[in-house]
Amino acid sequence: MNYFIFIITSAYVDLMRNKARTFLTTLGIVIGVASVVLLQAFGLGLKAYIKGQFDSLGTNLVFILPGNMFRAGGSGFGAGSMGSAISFDEKDLNSLKRASDAEIIVPSTMKSSKIEALGKSEYATIYGTSEEIFPTRNLEIDKGTFFLKSDINKRTKVAVMGPKIAEKLFGQAEFAVDQKISIDKITFKVVGVLKSKGGGGFGGPDFDSYVYIPYKTAFLVNNKKSFSSFVIKAISSERITDLKNETDKILLKRYKEEDFSVAESKEILNTVESIFSMLNMVLVAIGGVSLVVGGIGIMNIMYVSVTERIREIGIRRAMGALEKDILLQFLSESVLLSLLGGVLGLLLSFLIVLILRIFFPAYIDLSSMLMAIFVSSAIGVGFGVFPARSAAKLLPIEAIRYE
Amino acid sequence: MIKISHVNKEYVLDADNIFHALTDINVEIKDKEFVSIIGQSGSGKSTLMHIIGLLDRPTTGKVTVNDQDVSKLNDDEISLLRNDFVGFIFQQFNLINKLTVIENVMLPSIYSRKKLTFDPQQKAFELLKRFGLETKIKSYPNKLSGGQQQRVAIARALIMSPKLILADEPTGNLDSKSGEIVLSLIRDLNHKEKITVIIVTHDMNVAKQASRIIRIKDGKIEK
Ligand SMILES: Nc1ncnc2c1ncn2[C@@H]1O[C@H](COP(=O)(O)OP(=O)(O)OP(=O)(O)O)[C@@H](O)[C@H]1O
Ligand SMILES: [Mg+2]
Repeated sequence: MNYFIFIITSAYVDLMRNKARTFLTTLGIVIGVASVVLLQAFGLGLKAYIKGQFDSLGTNLVFILPGNMFRAGGSGFGAGSMGSAISFDEKDLNSLKRASDAEIIVPSTMKSSKIEALGKSEYATIYGTSEEIFPTRNLEIDKGTFFLKSDINKRTKVAVMGPKIAEKLFGQAEFAVDQKISIDKITFKVVGVLKSKGGGGFGGPDFDSYVYIPYKTAFLVNNKKSFSSFVIKAISSERITDLKNETDKILLKRYKEEDFSVAESKEILNTVESIFSMLNMVLVAIGGVSLVVGGIGIMNIMYVSVTERIREIGIRRAMGALEKDILLQFLSESVLLSLLGGVLGLLLSFLIVLILRIFFPAYIDLSSMLMAIFVSSAIGVGFGVFPARSAAKLLPIEAIRYE
Repeated sequence: MIKISHVNKEYVLDADNIFHALTDINVEIKDKEFVSIIGQSGSGKSTLMHIIGLLDRPTTGKVTVNDQDVSKLNDDEISLLRNDFVGFIFQQFNLINKLTVIENVMLPSIYSRKKLTFDPQQKAFELLKRFGLETKIKSYPNKLSGGQQQRVAIARALIMSPKLILADEPTGNLDSKSGEIVLSLIRDLNHKEKITVIIVTHDMNVAKQASRIIRIKDGKIEK
């Protein structure tokens, strides 16, 4: 009989002799592995979701935002990035229009307000902007029409809304068209409802619940007449870098470097992703705590198992087993135990992710699987080595005389 | 083959109490000898046997096996010597109850580091067949009678073809009939196979089977 096959089968036989105890001991690892794998699956899903959202924004876009959070080589996520934020105004809009590589410049002012219609009321993000937002962000009309360029200067009180908010207020998207809504006590006419862009509901922007109004109309209630950001579409992808430099130069005439950011969508995506991966790492570390608890459970049961089998250890030593044979026997048992927990935990997370996918695109990738297997074996070794050593170090004569 | 010179074994019971289990023991066992060690309970027979069988180390004194000083060997070397040089037979059988009979017999071969010149499974089966246990190979030891268990233990002691068999009260837990069978098997190992046998007992009738009797009393050898 091959030595290793013998060691592993006897470890297996020993674990199966006490199924209830084996199962209860692995439970800690099952829960630990499942929580770590699930948190990672959730993080991966979230990342993919955010990327999807950015892709749907449109291409060749440059964003101008207050604060230096997204500035390349800036302070990133941290001190002073948002606190002393500036806001832009129409003067900036006009100076940015001089940028030669810009095809479209879309200003926007955002505000969360209560919208009332037919006795119902809902909170939504009111987006004061120009008519060019629609092609820039790939927004398509479902019912009615977009508002027009002329509506801006005329300060027309018209609104285009996302399908989700339209449904909430009017029951069905098509019923919203030509209806009156009231935003901050001002009455607007709904001229159009957009096609769904999907997403929302996970803390990310819920584009389907946005209400778009001409920015000059929005200024009626915005005394500062300020914009919170600009989106600029470059005339081509090769010109994005030039466009960024140009706009940066324009704005630096008026603002300090740390007061604003000029960023492409991929830079914003990188920043958002790095914040999420940091958050995810913290969560995974917390999940790791239950793995440690599981490991301690294994250590405990292995010490019990050593005590129960002192006589057996003595017999094996009398038959010529070396210290390392005994060490390996107990170590393979603890590794098998925690590996079993790892595999069960992985299966459990597959099951949960399968259900979770109805609501959220979480997924388990190969590296999470390998990590689960690797980490659970490592726990078996790390926490099993102390009891196994205590078994190996027993004196043969004392072990065989033990009652 | 084995030489024990000036061996003492002490147990520290507490701060000012040392128990002398063996005092100045000098014994030489020659190749192919059949020796018995006899003495009252607590006289130190098992302690001496464990030292001869390399399961225990003396507190002071020298043990040489084939002119090699055992105190110079490390734990691994002693374990390997125990594995292929010595076969133990205990009063309490000391079989592992979760292993089958044939697995118990094969156990020492698992721990051998030498290239085996035999197929352990086949040899284990032949030994068990020789002792009339071929129908029990897949049984578990706790399902066997005492006499059967001791025969399994003898088969296990023989699997590595040791030069020395140590039997500590091999008939102590058996009725007279199965005791007689076990004893004749052990006797044959010396008479027919020329294996060195040391048998530990407090029973003069058992001790008489050997060609030489060593008497031990209160940890000392009686002349
Ligand atoms: N680990 C130990 N600590 C203290 N005393 C011990 C220890 N092991 C053995 N002894 C003592 O050494 C003495 C000899 O023990 P040993 O087992 O060799 O006796 P024995 O002659 O085999 O007796 P029996 O016929 O009852 O088996 C006994 O008095 C025993 O109490
Ligand atoms: Mg004894």
